[in-house]
Amino acid sequence: MAEIRNFKSGKNRGPPDDATPRRLAAIVAGDISGYSRLMQLDEEGTHNRVKRIERDLIEPTITEHHGRLVKTTGDGFIAIFDSPVEAVRCSIVIQQNLVGRNASLPRDYWVEYRIGVNLGDVIIETDDIYGDGVNIASRLESIADPGQVYISGGIYEQIKHKLVCGYESLGDRKVKNITDPVRVYRVLPDPAAFQRTRKRREHILLFLLSLALLVIAGGALWYLLLQQRGKVGNQASAPISSPAATPGSPSPPAPAAGPAAPQPQSAPSVAPIPQQAAPRPSPTPSAAPATQQAVQQPQPRATPSTPQASVPREPEMKTVRAGIFTMGSNDDVTEKPVHQVTIKPFAMSLYPVSVRDWNECAAAKACSFVAPGKDDAPVTNVSWSDAKQFVAWLADATRKAYRLPSEAEWEYAARGGTQTKYWWGDQFQSGMANCRNCNDIAGAEQPIKVGSFKPNPFGLYDMGGSVDQWVEDCWHKNYQGAPADGSAWVEGECGSHVIRSGSWKNDARYVRPSNRDSYDTNVRYPTHGFRVALSP
Amino acid sequence: MKIAKLIALSVILTFLPFAASAQGKPAPKDALLYFVWPQDGAAIKGGFWCRFGLRNMGVTHAGDNFQNSGHHHLLIDVNEPLEPNEPIPQDKSHLHFGAGQTEARIELPPGKHTLQLVLGDASHYPFSPPVVSEKITIRIK
Repeated sequence: MAEIRNFKSGKNRGPPDDATPRRLAAIVAGDISGYSRLMQLDEEGTHNRVKRIERDLIEPTITEHHGRLVKTTGDGFIAIFDSPVEAVRCSIVIQQNLVGRNASLPRDYWVEYRIGVNLGDVIIETDDIYGDGVNIASRLESIADPGQVYISGGIYEQIKHKLVCGYESLGDRKVKNITDPVRVYRVLPDPAAFQRTRKRREHILLFLLSLALLVIAGGALWYLLLQQRGKVGNQASAPISSPAATPGSPSPPAPAAGPAAPQPQSAPSVAPIPQQAAPRPSPTPSAAPATQQAVQQPQPRATPSTPQASVPREPEMKTVRAGIFTMGSNDDVTEKPVHQVTIKPFAMSLYPVSVRDWNECAAAKACSFVAPGKDDAPVTNVSWSDAKQFVAWLADATRKAYRLPSEAEWEYAARGGTQTKYWWGDQFQSGMANCRNCNDIAGAEQPIKVGSFKPNPFGLYDMGGSVDQWVEDCWHKNYQGAPADGSAWVEGECGSHVIRSGSWKNDARYVRPSNRDSYDTNVRYPTHGFRVALSP
Repeated sequence: MKIAKLIALSVILTFLPFAASAQGKPAPKDALLYFVWPQDGAAIKGGFWCRFGLRNMGVTHAGDNFQNSGHHHLLIDVNEPLEPNEPIPQDKSHLHFGAGQTEARIELPPGKHTLQLVLGDASHYPFSPPVVSEKITIRIK
């Protein structure tokens, strides 16, 4: 009050000499963890090293950050700063330097500081400072882990938007002999460290979640098994073949079981064309086997849809090796500029997704419509969003990283290691791809079954012609700014996505591996299909 | 007798759209598709915004099956006649606007070009009779 009155009365008097000088300061308290242990281990050496650290590191760093070293104790120091930012910066510098110094020593000899920083109103004397601000700083330091900097809420409020660090809140802590709890934050010198701690927490959460799910799944399985055992018992009495008993049951239509049985399993190595052709000698050879097939066919489909986790028939995949290739061409403005792209290894489906593949997704209610047409024809009339639904379902059902290929991956796979206009050379040859006026397939038969033409050098079918194929990338009118790492280019306006390959309705120009076009993301068109990729 | 006739007529009217849906939905006679911009004979420098006009019908998304509505298709330098029983082709000279766009940024190489609009139904078929614009010629400088 006296001071205020003096101020008001206009008397120009400096701070009273008699009163102890107070000021607001950022207090840094540091101390060596396990000092007594170190001293016991090597008294002289430790003493020398600590003194050297103080002389070479702590003192100059404090001065550099416009602070003042108030005092050093045997195993620690106290410094004050005008600026909280400088105080924390100084603390980080000290901690990081110590890491470097300790690196060459055995673990037992490490000198590690714990540092606490607090903002407080303190009493300053020439060789010491007092006040509970100081006490809080040293309490923070005492709860800090070795090598860490803990700061109080007051400091945090001052620096949070100024110092690019991670700050991990440790909540309110009750500290010794201080009435109010103190909010404590841990400083993580680089933001990446913050991500790490968060990730760790996420991992723990995920683990717990999956554990809970596992328990639920186990319960459900147990319940189902119990139920099924009851069912099998019931059906055993009836002569009709049950869906569960495929191998053991004396199923009477032996010839029909042959072609139908291997289908749902689809061994990955089986040559696809004859296999797909086998079950459907379309002009119904005789009534009896046809009807038996009709009866048999729905059965394997019914089996997966029964409780025990429906695993879908996976598309046949072909591994595509990593490589660098030249993407684009000078044949069209959309294909410029020609640029180098690095591709990581991945797998591409051998064929475009077929009607059969698609309808498994539709049967699982994960795809929004049932595709018409022959089973081994490519699925058509799908929008990009439809294709995304399919890959999401496939990835989920198989627990594999199925996805749409990126545009770069598609072109790389379509080129099959060649740099020519078409994968077979610079001149178009009829009979190599399913395009308009490129072969003599009647329009009514289109789209003909997948894999009807020669595979390219990577062993992939219908990379060019057949159906247009959606890729992950958003449409960009040329390659200006395209990524060079083979990833999908998804920045920008995404109202339309890229289609590749051209279809049976497009002429030979569209078969070129570098050809690209766009279409509205949510719109279906009768020549649009897709194929899937798989990350290793 | 009159009632029977009326019923027959209403039945026919109800089923008419279904019968027609096989290829091309019926379009009102006074439907008019035209270019707001550019006009026939325009000389344009560089890229331009092409704006589509439609009267007495509505623009909707491809896939939406509403009466008297469709979506735009822009035919650039197309000389082949329109196939009434086929979906409107999709390639670099048949641009589709299935999201219901009524304008588009067009970039063409210098020279003479023809532009024509065709309205497509939910499954990209032309209407019957086809709703098409006049074919205009523009010159890119």
